[in-house]
Amino acid sequence: MTDFFLFLPEFYFILAALAFFIFSLNKTAAPWALHRWALLLAGVGLVITVGASHQEGMIFFDCYRVDLFSQVFKVLLTLGTFWIIFSSSELKGIDPRQHAEFYFLIFVCTLAMMMLVSAVELLTVYVSIELSSYSLYLLVSMRRNADEYVETGIKYFMIGVTASALMLFGISLLFGVTNTTFIPQMIQSLPLLMSQPAAVIGLLLALSGFFFKLALFPFHIWAPDVYQGAANQVTAYIATASKMAAAALIIRFAGLSGGANPGLIKLLIVLSILSMTFGNLVALIQKDIKRLLAYSSIAHAGYILIGILSFSERGFAAAIYYAMAYLVMNYACFMVILKIAGDGHNLQIKELAGLHERSPLLALTLMLGLFGLAGIPPTAGFTGKFLVFAAALEKGYLFLIVIGMVNATISLYYYLIIIKAAYLLKPVKPYPALPTDSWTRYLSLILIVMMIYLGIFPDRFISLTEAAARTLF
Amino acid sequence: MTSMDMAGFPILTAILMSTVLGLLVILFIPAERTRLIKQVSLSFASIGLVLCVLLYLSYDFHKGGLQFVERSLWVKSLGIYYFNAVDGINLPMMLLTSIVLFTGIWTMWELEYRVKEFFALIFLLVAGVYGVFMSMDLFWIFVWYDVSLFPMYPLIAIWGGTRKEYGAMKLTLYLLAGSALILPAILYLWVQGGAHTFDLFELQRIGFSVFDQRLTFLMLYLGFGILAAVWPFHTWSPVGHVAAPTAVSMIHAGVLMKLGAYGVLRIAMTLCPEGLAYWSNLMALLAVIGIVYGALVGLAQTDLKYVIGYSSVSHMGIVGLGLATMTVSGINGAVFQMFAHGVMTALFFSSVGYIYDRTHTKIIPELGGLSKTMPVASTFFILAALAGIGVPLMASFWAELLVFVSAVKVFPVGGVLALMGLIVSALFMLRVVQRTFYGDKNPRWEHIPDVNGFLAVPRIILVSIIFFFGLFPKFILDVVQSAVIPFVGRF
Repeated sequence: MTDFFLFLPEFYFILAALAFFIFSLNKTAAPWALHRWALLLAGVGLVITVGASHQEGMIFFDCYRVDLFSQVFKVLLTLGTFWIIFSSSELKGIDPRQHAEFYFLIFVCTLAMMMLVSAVELLTVYVSIELSSYSLYLLVSMRRNADEYVETGIKYFMIGVTASALMLFGISLLFGVTNTTFIPQMIQSLPLLMSQPAAVIGLLLALSGFFFKLALFPFHIWAPDVYQGAANQVTAYIATASKMAAAALIIRFAGLSGGANPGLIKLLIVLSILSMTFGNLVALIQKDIKRLLAYSSIAHAGYILIGILSFSERGFAAAIYYAMAYLVMNYACFMVILKIAGDGHNLQIKELAGLHERSPLLALTLMLGLFGLAGIPPTAGFTGKFLVFAAALEKGYLFLIVIGMVNATISLYYYLIIIKAAYLLKPVKPYPALPTDSWTRYLSLILIVMMIYLGIFPDRFISLTEAAARTLF
Repeated sequence: MTSMDMAGFPILTAILMSTVLGLLVILFIPAERTRLIKQVSLSFASIGLVLCVLLYLSYDFHKGGLQFVERSLWVKSLGIYYFNAVDGINLPMMLLTSIVLFTGIWTMWELEYRVKEFFALIFLLVAGVYGVFMSMDLFWIFVWYDVSLFPMYPLIAIWGGTRKEYGAMKLTLYLLAGSALILPAILYLWVQGGAHTFDLFELQRIGFSVFDQRLTFLMLYLGFGILAAVWPFHTWSPVGHVAAPTAVSMIHAGVLMKLGAYGVLRIAMTLCPEGLAYWSNLMALLAVIGIVYGALVGLAQTDLKYVIGYSSVSHMGIVGLGLATMTVSGINGAVFQMFAHGVMTALFFSSVGYIYDRTHTKIIPELGGLSKTMPVASTFFILAALAGIGVPLMASFWAELLVFVSAVKVFPVGGVLALMGLIVSALFMLRVVQRTFYGDKNPRWEHIPDVNGFLAVPRIILVSIIFFFGLFPKFILDVVQSAVIPFVGRF
């Protein structure tokens, strides 16, 4: 019976997904009714996940590990899902007949990612990754006027399955050399086998599958197109919830590895530097906000990796904290974008002109979110960067930190361009006033408070992430 | 009131809160009620001013050391403390900040464009400045430092003048590039100190190896030096000053640039005395170049704000030179100069701001003969110029005297060169005064009203402070000295 409770949040999401599966069979429900139901179900899911956050144990023949780490990430995932569904009240980017499918896929994808953060056996990991990926492939191609963006869906699918194939090949090689698919056992035997090329290649191939999910350079190619081509809500989902799962997976693996060999660390340092630098430099010239945020997400993957490659408790805790902060800040930006692009089109930076007059609160939310992403105190983003840098410096990577800081300065340029558009530019044509309902205003205020609270009073959250990181070893 | 009476009251937090609360209150006032916003701003600024004056008067300089200490653990696992205190070095800086904030807000009384956001951002900026000055924890110093920098972007880009967007972007990126060196240096010191405390004085007790001190001193010096407009990283400063609106120029040149010099003094020189000894020649060299270069370039400018901008580069060079001497009188002079220069540039920008608001030009050849049409406004500018030259009876006279006496002793060649720079700067100030305010009356400006009584108040306050500390330098030097003597003793 206790096993059942360990799996309760996931089980709940299976039921929620089933409910929407049934909704999708008869197309009678109105979009607004579906939205209410989805919001309610996601809200209850969030409450259940929070309630289950202190459970611990192993289920399914030790394939599935429930600990503080996995539960923290499950809370972040369900929170992200709840927020995205909240912002889907005007789901104009997707055909109304497909709204039920949209919610169904969102719930399935969330379920898959919740399994992903708990999985400690390679086949479970693989199944979860594929389940979440296939939901995302469908979500991305669901956009209305798909003709314009049909390339996006196909590209994402092709790159995705290639990454999966590589990962599967890597996993099979790892199984071949270690005779197990259980990661804890594998980790024990792997260090002795690192002299064998098969083990090294297997590990690298498996890692590239994970890096694909995180959109780390050079596995980032899908990100800009998918961000631009998918419906705004789907992009927001990929940028927030799906990033949490990818970060969690990599942290889990790094934690299980119990210390890495110097070669791997060097490789990760190089990837992190390339990812930050590439993402930030290309973002400088973007005009489309979603595309810009795609490149900024590539850069942020690099920052998260800085925490992970420290391979210390503090480093993992910092990476978790960073992921947490990133979820809040990125969602804050996306919430504003979703609100402004009410009809579901791709928002250009210049369309933000005059936002501070159309809606001061949304402009403020956007500004704080962007300053957070740029790592300016007193926002959560600064504290996150501070923590990952502190962890890396403890290992003596001074050079990496300087590059990270220089990158933060570069990134400030393009974030300032957006802020400038929102606060300075005069609109070319008069945009209509931006009606915000009271729920949106409350959520904006909550996000603002969260971003600043996480930034100024991080003590409790740092303790939480450190406790979560301790369960990794 | 003595420090004993105030022991229980967290006056430093109260000063900080006067700005944070000011910010929050302004955010909740409807944007149309501009007059109310200005009144609220001025009230909160005057609370800060009163508290800072009280703090200054109740500081016991016979005893010296840290007073009004507030210290509590903030983030346990990293060893971050909420640690505020004052000593003889940051006390004058706090006073300066409150004076410039108060007079700056008063100076902007006629602002009508996006009033609410302007004053909200000013308070955010000043919260950062107060925070940097009062914090004794490296984490908080850095946080407040960045908090004070980023409001500059909207403040200049929205309310600024000449090439505002370019100036704003250049300034922001330069200053944050500086913090790209400061943060790694701070974290490096934290790791070398055992990764368990950001408390400045605990780190000082731990001590660092010679190599670490040299490395981090250089990083901190370059990082903070950008904000202190150390040559060759000064180019953002004149551009930024020219672009910024009056109160922002006042706060920026008057207080914000001091943060750079203060950071070098408070963090780099406290934690890395060996680094200072190693790099002091470089510091002196760059400072002397800054003094001479600022004066020479200033000579060629035709825009009043550029003139002041370059004179600031030159005057901040004097601060750098004073710090580099590593002597009691040199550092005394440097801290005094920070204070004196702050008040003086605030006066400068405030008088230019008035002239610019009325004539819509700050090009010197177009002005001419202003003293005949606007005698009061002209007087303020001329007084500021005299203070800039370092005329006796004015505060900056003592500051410059102290710095140069010790500079000539420690760096004979550089000191003499810098003195020559001072002569050039006197020349260019007088030239500007002559071209702008004397000469033939310009009929274009005849109809323009002079500064009225209300708007004259903040300028009169600034002038009286310049004279007060010029006549009674002991009043500030006693305080500064109480911190500098033990400080220099450690070298």
